[in-house]
Amino acid sequence: MSTTVDRCYGPWVDPKEDLAFDALSDRVRRRILSVLGEEGELSVNRLAERVGTVGRTTVSSHLRLLRTSGIVRERREGRNRYYSLDTDGAVRDAFVYLQSIMRQAVDDIDDAPAPAANAEPGERGRDTG
Amino acid sequence: MHTTVAAERTVALAPPEAFALFGSPRGEGWLFGARCDSVAPGAVVSMRLPLDERGGTRGVDVLGRITRVVPSAAVEIEHTQPWRGRLSLRFTPAGSRGTRVQVRASVPPEGVEWLLHRRGVPLPEPPDDGAVRLGAITTASGPGAVYSMSAELMARLAVDEINADGGVAGHRVQLLTADDATDAEQAGVEAERMARLGCRAVFVNATSASFDAVRRVLDGRGVLVVHTVINEGGGDSPTAVRFGERPQAQLDALVAPAMRRADARRWFLVGQSYVWSHGAHASARRAVADAGGHVAGEDLTPLGTTDFTGTIERIARSGADLVLSSLVGADEVAFERQSEAAGLRRSVRTVSLVLEESTLAHIGPRAAAGLQTALGYFEDNPLAGNDGLLARYRDAYGSWAPPVTALSEPIYEAIHRYARVLHTDPDGGPSAHAAALARRIPAPREETIGSRDLVAPRLYVAEVGPGGLEIVDAVAGR
Repeated sequence: MSTTVDRCYGPWVDPKEDLAFDALSDRVRRRILSVLGEEGELSVNRLAERVGTVGRTTVSSHLRLLRTSGIVRERREGRNRYYSLDTDGAVRDAFVYLQSIMRQAVDDIDDAPAPAANAEPGERGRDTG
Repeated sequence: MHTTVAAERTVALAPPEAFALFGSPRGEGWLFGARCDSVAPGAVVSMRLPLDERGGTRGVDVLGRITRVVPSAAVEIEHTQPWRGRLSLRFTPAGSRGTRVQVRASVPPEGVEWLLHRRGVPLPEPPDDGAVRLGAITTASGPGAVYSMSAELMARLAVDEINADGGVAGHRVQLLTADDATDAEQAGVEAERMARLGCRAVFVNATSASFDAVRRVLDGRGVLVVHTVINEGGGDSPTAVRFGERPQAQLDALVAPAMRRADARRWFLVGQSYVWSHGAHASARRAVADAGGHVAGEDLTPLGTTDFTGTIERIARSGADLVLSSLVGADEVAFERQSEAAGLRRSVRTVSLVLEESTLAHIGPRAAAGLQTALGYFEDNPLAGNDGLLARYRDAYGSWAPPVTALSEPIYEAIHRYARVLHTDPDGGPSAHAAALARRIPAPREETIGSRDLVAPRLYVAEVGPGGLEIVDAVAGR
């Protein structure tokens, strides 16, 4: 069974705000998510202690981005804030990302009039790796 | 359950014009910069998903094949990397001179899981159901994804067959898989997870750098580590086993014959700046000297290099007649395509150490014509049992599944062999199992699938001809 989700993952998260999808490109963010996966819920201070390599301010800014993306949930208790993984939000985030790149894929079709010199048919991208 | 994600747009082009943009240099910007040499069923296609940081240049390649083409109307693609899924394009007339272009991606749960994991979200940990857990670290993204297309499928096939046969010592076998992203640090992270989940053995079907990282992480953890692809050797430990071809044996099979055929002596070595090429080129210098030749130059580039213009210019300036490439994956694809485009084939012959069917498909038959290699397995090799293996593989994964290669068949055999060891000695530790796996089997006159010597495989020398990699000679292993 297939479910079409075109436009279902609507504008509440702007994909342009959230292109940093690759955790490999940001080890701190990966570490934050890994620690939350192991511990469940943590305060910023405790999280910063567990992440270890960066300070509380850096951890807070990563948490803000992760929360905007819907991957991390925030809970307030008095003056304290606690963070945990939001698995449903993470799945939604993955589809927001997929939807945004599919949209980008069709938006990038160049339908301006073709230049005079076209590539030979059957010889596509010969010079590319 | 697969989920479909779709997008569409009406463009001011007639359907044949919009269709012609797919895969063409002019249309490179759309559908993730799809590249293919022809738009026909069976043609390989690669696209790049923008996964990276804002403004970054990295991405992840989607690698697959075109499975169906209706000219000016439809293209269907099945892809294997970074997950198995389907993409379809539809071109329908819209108004007097417009086309409605629809793109639909069918994403399986494994695809969503891959994306979440890549995002950094920890994967759910499966409950312990008493199964014997094995890990397989393969490469689904990064430059190594090209040569690892069928590795996970072959690991799954082995485990499915073991379970269909009753499992190991009364227990079902469960396979945990991971993508190392052609990144040694990531391989170490995945190995850590596999150890935490109780894997008794981890099969590393990835670069030597990833194997080293996994071996270090799992040292002293009671987990056997098995490297299942071609490697430069070394790094031995009582709980780690390395299978696969070694460059010394490959070079013994390739160097002197190449010099005789070309009546030439000057070599240029091209490789990557990590442990595999360092080891391979040390062997190459010995083999070239033994054959009476000499090395006129060497270039080592970082893994992930896409532009080899400088290397090709240095080869041309060196006066070399022969090139040895130890490049792997997407780097080898880029180098060979650019070498052919630059006219280098007219003046030099090239032998390549890691040229299997998947890499060849991405280089393309024209750019790869005449390249030689020596590996322990080719899809059309004469081994008894090979036809049956390929039939089971196609039954399990379909006719468009990527080829079985020297970089995927050994993980199938290694897992079967480990299951036999474990069945015989279920309480043994990783050292005893490593020793049993590394024990050389007296070579039968006729090797068969399942009884190949994985420690020192018999090599087949092959050359790229009109029919793909054609075996021209068979030589004993080291």
